[in-house]
Amino acid sequence: MTAADLMLALPEIFVLGMTCIIMLFGLWLPEERQGMISFVSIMTLVFAAIILLGWDDPDPAAVSFAFNATFVRDQMADVLKLSAFIVLAAILVYARQYLRVFKVAMLEYHVLSLFLLLGVMVLISAASMLTVYLGLELIALPSYALVALRRDDQRSTEAAMKYFVLGSLASGLLLYGLSMIYGVTGTLSLAQVANITAMGNNTVLVLGLIFVVIGIAFKLGVVPFHMWVPDVYHGAPAAVTALIGSLPKLAVFAMAIRLLSDGLGNMQMHWMSMLVVLATLSIVVGNLVAIAQSNLKRMLAYSTIGHMGFMLLGLLTGSDQGFSAAMFYAIVYAIMAAGAFGVMILLSQHGVEAEHLDDYKGLSKRSPWLALMMLMLMFSMAGVPVFAGFFAKWLVIQAVIDAGMIWLAILAVIFSVIGAFYYLRVVKLMYFDAPDKDDAISVPADFRAALTLNGSAQLLLGIFANILIGLCVASF
Amino acid sequence: MTAIELVFYLFSTVLTLSALAVITVRNAVYAALFLVLAFFSSAAIWMLLEVEFLAITLVLVYVGAVMVLFLFVVMMLDMNSERVREGFARYLPVGILVALIMAGELMFVIWTKGAEKLPLPPGQSDAGANTALLGERLYTAYLYPFEIAAVILLVGIVAAIALTHTGRNPNTRYQDPSRQVSTRREDRVRIVSMPGAGSKSAEERS
Amino acid sequence: MNTDLHIILLAIPLLPLFGAVLAGLFGRQIGRAGAHWITILAVAGSLLLSLYVFKLIVFDAMPAINTSIYTWAVTGGLKFEIGFLIDSLTVVMMTVVTFVSLMVHIYTIGYMHDDPGYQRFFSYIALFTFAMLMLVMSNNFLQLFFGWEAVGLVSYLLIGFWFKKESAIFANLKAFLVNRVGDFGFLLGIAAIVVSFGSLDYAEVFAVAPTAVDQTISVFPGVEWALLTFVCICLFIGAMGKSAQAPLHVWLPDSMEGPTPISALIHAATMVTAGIFMVARMSPLFELSEVALSFVLVIGAITALFMGLIGLVQNDIKRVIAYSTLSQLGYMTVALGASAYSAAIFHLMTHAFFKALLFLGAGSVIIALHHRQDMREMGGLRRVLPITFVTAWLGSLALMGVPLFSGFYSKDIIIEAVHLANRPGAGFAYWCVLLGVVVTAMYSLRLLFLTFHGEPRMEQSVREHAHEPGWVVTVPLILLAIPSVFIGYFSIEPMLFGGFFGDAIHVAAGNDVLAEIGSHFHGPLAMAVHALVTPVFWLVVLGSALAVAIWFWKPQLAVWCRQRFSPLVHVLDRKYWFDEIYQAMFARGSARLGNGLWRYGDIAVIDNLMVNGSATLVGWCAGLLRYLQSGYLYHYAFAMIVGLIMIIFTYIILA
Repeated sequence: MTAADLMLALPEIFVLGMTCIIMLFGLWLPEERQGMISFVSIMTLVFAAIILLGWDDPDPAAVSFAFNATFVRDQMADVLKLSAFIVLAAILVYARQYLRVFKVAMLEYHVLSLFLLLGVMVLISAASMLTVYLGLELIALPSYALVALRRDDQRSTEAAMKYFVLGSLASGLLLYGLSMIYGVTGTLSLAQVANITAMGNNTVLVLGLIFVVIGIAFKLGVVPFHMWVPDVYHGAPAAVTALIGSLPKLAVFAMAIRLLSDGLGNMQMHWMSMLVVLATLSIVVGNLVAIAQSNLKRMLAYSTIGHMGFMLLGLLTGSDQGFSAAMFYAIVYAIMAAGAFGVMILLSQHGVEAEHLDDYKGLSKRSPWLALMMLMLMFSMAGVPVFAGFFAKWLVIQAVIDAGMIWLAILAVIFSVIGAFYYLRVVKLMYFDAPDKDDAISVPADFRAALTLNGSAQLLLGIFANILIGLCVASF
Repeated sequence: MTAIELVFYLFSTVLTLSALAVITVRNAVYAALFLVLAFFSSAAIWMLLEVEFLAITLVLVYVGAVMVLFLFVVMMLDMNSERVREGFARYLPVGILVALIMAGELMFVIWTKGAEKLPLPPGQSDAGANTALLGERLYTAYLYPFEIAAVILLVGIVAAIALTHTGRNPNTRYQDPSRQVSTRREDRVRIVSMPGAGSKSAEERS
Repeated sequence: MNTDLHIILLAIPLLPLFGAVLAGLFGRQIGRAGAHWITILAVAGSLLLSLYVFKLIVFDAMPAINTSIYTWAVTGGLKFEIGFLIDSLTVVMMTVVTFVSLMVHIYTIGYMHDDPGYQRFFSYIALFTFAMLMLVMSNNFLQLFFGWEAVGLVSYLLIGFWFKKESAIFANLKAFLVNRVGDFGFLLGIAAIVVSFGSLDYAEVFAVAPTAVDQTISVFPGVEWALLTFVCICLFIGAMGKSAQAPLHVWLPDSMEGPTPISALIHAATMVTAGIFMVARMSPLFELSEVALSFVLVIGAITALFMGLIGLVQNDIKRVIAYSTLSQLGYMTVALGASAYSAAIFHLMTHAFFKALLFLGAGSVIIALHHRQDMREMGGLRRVLPITFVTAWLGSLALMGVPLFSGFYSKDIIIEAVHLANRPGAGFAYWCVLLGVVVTAMYSLRLLFLTFHGEPRMEQSVREHAHEPGWVVTVPLILLAIPSVFIGYFSIEPMLFGGFFGDAIHVAAGNDVLAEIGSHFHGPLAMAVHALVTPVFWLVVLGSALAVAIWFWKPQLAVWCRQRFSPLVHVLDRKYWFDEIYQAMFARGSARLGNGLWRYGDIAVIDNLMVNGSATLVGWCAGLLRYLQSGYLYHYAFAMIVGLIMIIFTYIILA
C-alpha cells in the first residue's frame, strides 16, 4: 500500500471519516438542532463529489488499481459514484421533513444512509471477489436496519425481517458461488479470474456462475428472485424506500459488470442465456402485475422489477454498446425513482403515508408544480419520447437488436407500451380527476428546489442525452 | 483409506448429522448444542487442512463466546417450540423433495463431470506458522477488505442500537456522577431560621 | 465560423421561447403588463438579431452557414441533430416571421385587452414564434419535423383558444384531423428519405439525391414508383396540409374561430407558408421529379382560382380574407410548380405583409364593432375608422395587384412564369391564375365597399360606440402598410433577378423560367408601365369594374346577380360541398367504420377477447402471482430455491 493507493480511495475514506464524525457529534445535538445532521450529511456528499472530481487523473479512461488489486478506479466507477452522490443528496433533502413528521431517528437514518453509500462505493470499485462480497454486505446491513427504522410500525418490522432473511439467503448463495469460482481458479482477483477462465471451461465454474447470477438477480430484484421487492418497498418508510429503491441499483449494476464482464467475461455464452430468461420474466411479470396495483409503492416496486428487466437487456448483450446502455438505464432509473418517491414523501405530511393511488387524485389542482414534476417523472418512466427514460429504453433495445435478438426487442417494446398504461394512469388521476381533499401542500424551499431539479432532469437528460450517453459509452 | 481420510469422514459425518439435528430437534437448547457440535466438527476438519489458527478461532469465538451467548438467550426467552414448528409437517415433504433435488443436482455435477476434478488445495509449507502468515497477509495484501469488514461490524453495532435503543426511560433510577460532584451547598441544605413562635413573617418564610 | 455567431443564431429562436416560458408558467406572478413586455422584448430582440444576420448574409455576402449546434443522439449511423442552415432563403423567412410576429404582439395588447387568458395568449404566440424559427432555420429533417409539429400544436391551441365556444372546438378538431392527413404524408416522405439516403441532413440528402433519379420504390408489393417522385409527392402532401391546398384546405376558413391576431400571424403570414417554404427548401429534390412538379402546379392552380371564388359569397369579414389567403397560397404553389421558387418566396413575403395588414385591419373593425364580424351589418365605417380605412385600402390594392404595389410585382411574375413554363398542366394553370386575378379584384373591393362605404347597417347603439382603437392597434397597421406598398418595388430586382437566393434554391437548367423573364426585365418602373399593355392589368380593371358596379354603384345589382346566377352562388355558398363530402365520407364514414369496428372489433375482439380476455388473463396471472406473493417468508425463499434448481437443471444437467 502506498500513498497513491490512499489517494485513489480518498472519496471513500472521506465519506467514512465524515460518517464517523457525524455519528459522534450527532449524539450531542439537542433535539431542535437535528437539522444540522441533514445539512452536514449533504455537505459531506458535496465535498465527496468535489474530491472525486478533483482527483487529477491524466487520462480519464485510465484504470487504476489499489490495495493489492482489491480496489479499482475507472471511469465507470467515477460516473456511478457521482450519480450515487447526487441521488443520495436529493433523497436526504426529501427525507428531512418526513423524518420529523414520522418521528424517525434523524441521526440513525443519516448515519446508516451514509454507510449504505459507502457500501455502494466499495461495490462499484470492487476488483476482487472479496470486496464484491463485502461491499454487498455493507449495502445490505444498513438497508435491513433502515427498513425497520420505524420500530413501532408492524409492517416496517415485518418487511425488515423478510428482507433480512431473504437477503441473507441470497448472500449465502452468492458466497457459495464465489467460493466455487475461487476453488477452481485459486484467486480472488477478478482480473486473474478472467485470465484463468480464458484457458478453458469447467462445470464447477458454471455452477459457481449460476450462484453468482442468482445473487445479482436477487439484489436487482428480477423474477423469480423478486418476491421481496413489493413487500419491502411497501413496508419500508417512504424515505427509506426511496433509498433502497435507487442507490443499490447503481451498485448492483456495477457488481454485475465487475463479476460478469470483468471476471467471467469468457463465460458470456453461459450467463447470457440465463439473463435472457431473467430479463424476459421480469419485463413480463413486472409490467403486468404493476397494472393490478392500487398502492403506488407496490406499483413502483413492480415497475422497478420491469425496469431492472430492461436494464438486464443491455447487460445480456455482452457488448460495450449494451453495457453503456445498461449503465445509462441504471443512472436514469436511480434518478427517476428518487424523484417519484420524493413526491410520495412530500405528500405524506400528516403522519400517513400517501401511498394509495387515490391520494394523487386532482393533484394538479392542489399543487400544479408538484403534479408537473410527477408528470415528468411518470412520462420518463413510461418512456415517452424526449424524456430521459425514452432514451434509456431506446438504447437498450437498440443494443438488443444489434446483438441479433429481434424477438427480445419486440417483446421489450410491447411491454414498455403495456407499462406506459399504469404510469399514465397516475397522470390521469393527477390531471383529470377531482381531488378528494383540498388541503394545501407546504413545501420547504430546499425540497422544492431539489424536486424541481430532479423532475426537470428527466427532460434535460433527454434533451441533452448525449452528454450522459457519452460518459457511459466512454466507460467501456 | 488412510488415517487422515478416516478422520475426515468421521468428522464430516458428525458435521452433517449434527447440522441436520439443529433444524430437526424440538428443543431449542438441544438445537444450540448441536450447533456447537457442528462448529466443533468443522474446526476439526479445518485442522486437517492445516489451518490451525482458523480452527482455534472457530472454537474460541463461536463455540466459546457466540454460542454461549446464544444459549443464554434461548434459555431466557421462553420459546414456544410448538408454535415455531407449526406447519413443519405440512412443508416437510416439499422441503425434503427440494433438498433432495438440490443435493442430487450437486452430486450429479461432481460425479458425472469427474473428468474435471477440482485441484486439491495446496498444503501448508513448512515456511512458517500459519498464524503469522495469516496475520501478515491480513494487514498487508488484504488491508482494504479488512477495513471494510471492520466498518461492517461498526454498522452492525449502529444498526443494533438503532433498532433497540428507545432512549432513556425517565423512570429509570440512575446516578449522574458529574451532577453529584458539581453539586452546591445551596442545592442540598436549606437554612431555615426559626424565630420565636407567633411571628407572622417567620411563618410566611417557612 | 465564430462562436459569437453561434450564440446569436441560438438566441434568435430561444429568446421567444424564453418569453413564452416566462409568460406561460409565471403568468400570474409577472402580471398582464409583465407578460406582454417580456414577450415583446424577446421577439423584438430576435427581430434585431435576425436583421443583423440578414445583413451579414445579404449585404456582406457571407457564405451560407450550415452548422450543427448539438448532436442529440447517434444511433446506428443515423444522427439526430439540432442545427442551423442559414442562407438567403432562411434569412428572408426569419425576418418576415419575426417582424410580423412583433407587429402581432403589439397589436394583441389592444385586441385581447379584456380577455382573461391574456398571459396564456402571449405565451402561445411567443411559443409559436420559437417553433416557426426552428422550422425555417433547420438544417435537417428531424428539426424540420419538430418545428412542423410544434407550429401545428400551437395553431390548434390557438384556434381553440376560446375553448368555451362550441364552433372553436369543432374548428380546432378539424384543423387537427386535416393536418394529420398532411403530416402522415410528410412523415412518410421523411421516412422514405431516411430509408433511401440514410441521412436526415439536408446537405447530405441533396448531395446524393441526383444519383437516385432512376431508383424506384415499391410501397405496395408489385407497384414500382420512382423514388424521388414518391418522396416529393409525400412531402408535398405535408405542405398541402399545412399550407391549406385543395383538397386539404377545409381547416383554414374554420380556423378563423381563433382570435384575429392569430389569423394574421399563423393563418395568413407565417405558419401556412411553411409548406411553401419547405418545398422551396427542397427544390433540389423537386427539380428531379417532373411529375411531382406538375402535381404541385395543378393543385396550386385549382386552389388559386376556386378558393378565390368562394370568397365572393362569404359574409364574415374574416372568412373573406381567409379564402383570399387560400387563393394566394395557391398562387405561391403554382409558382413552385413552375420552378419559380424565388417568385413563390417573393410572393410569400409580400403576401405576409399585406395579408397580415388586412387581417389586423379586419380585427380593428371587429374591435370597433364589439366583436361583430358579419359584413352585412357594417358599412360606412370610413369616417369612424380613418386609419383602418386607408390601410385596408392600401392592403387591398396590393392584394389585387395594382401596378407599383408590392402584390403587383410578385403576382405578375408568377403569372408570367406559369405562362413560360412548359410542363404538363401549365396551360390549365395559366388560365386559372389569369381568371384568379379578376376574382381577387372582385372580392377585395367587395370587402372594402361592404365594410367602409355605403350606408351604415349596424345597430344604432353599436355605431355610436364605434371608434378607432388605440395606438397599439393602429401603429402595427401603419407599420405593415409601408412594406405592403413599397417592398415589391424595391426588392423585386435584387430578389428575383440578382442571384439573391444563390445556392439556397436549386433550379434545373431547362426549368429556369425566371431567368427568361429576367432577360426582358428593365427595372420595376418599366415593368409597371409595361403592365398597362398586358392582359393581367386589364383583368384587374375588369374585376374592379365589376365590383364597383355590383357592390358600390348599384347594390341592387348584387341581389339581381344572386338570383340570376343562383345555382353558381349556391355552389360557392356550399364551398363545393367539400365539408359535406368530408363529413359524409370521412367523418360519418369513419364514424360508421368506427361503429362497425367498435361493434365487431372492439366489443368482440378487443373488449371480450383482449381487454376482458387480458383482464381475465391478468387477473388470473395476478391471482396466481398473488398466491405466490403470499407474504409468507418461506414461500419467497422456496420460490428462490426453485428458481435456483431450475437454472441449475437447465444449464448444467441439460447442457
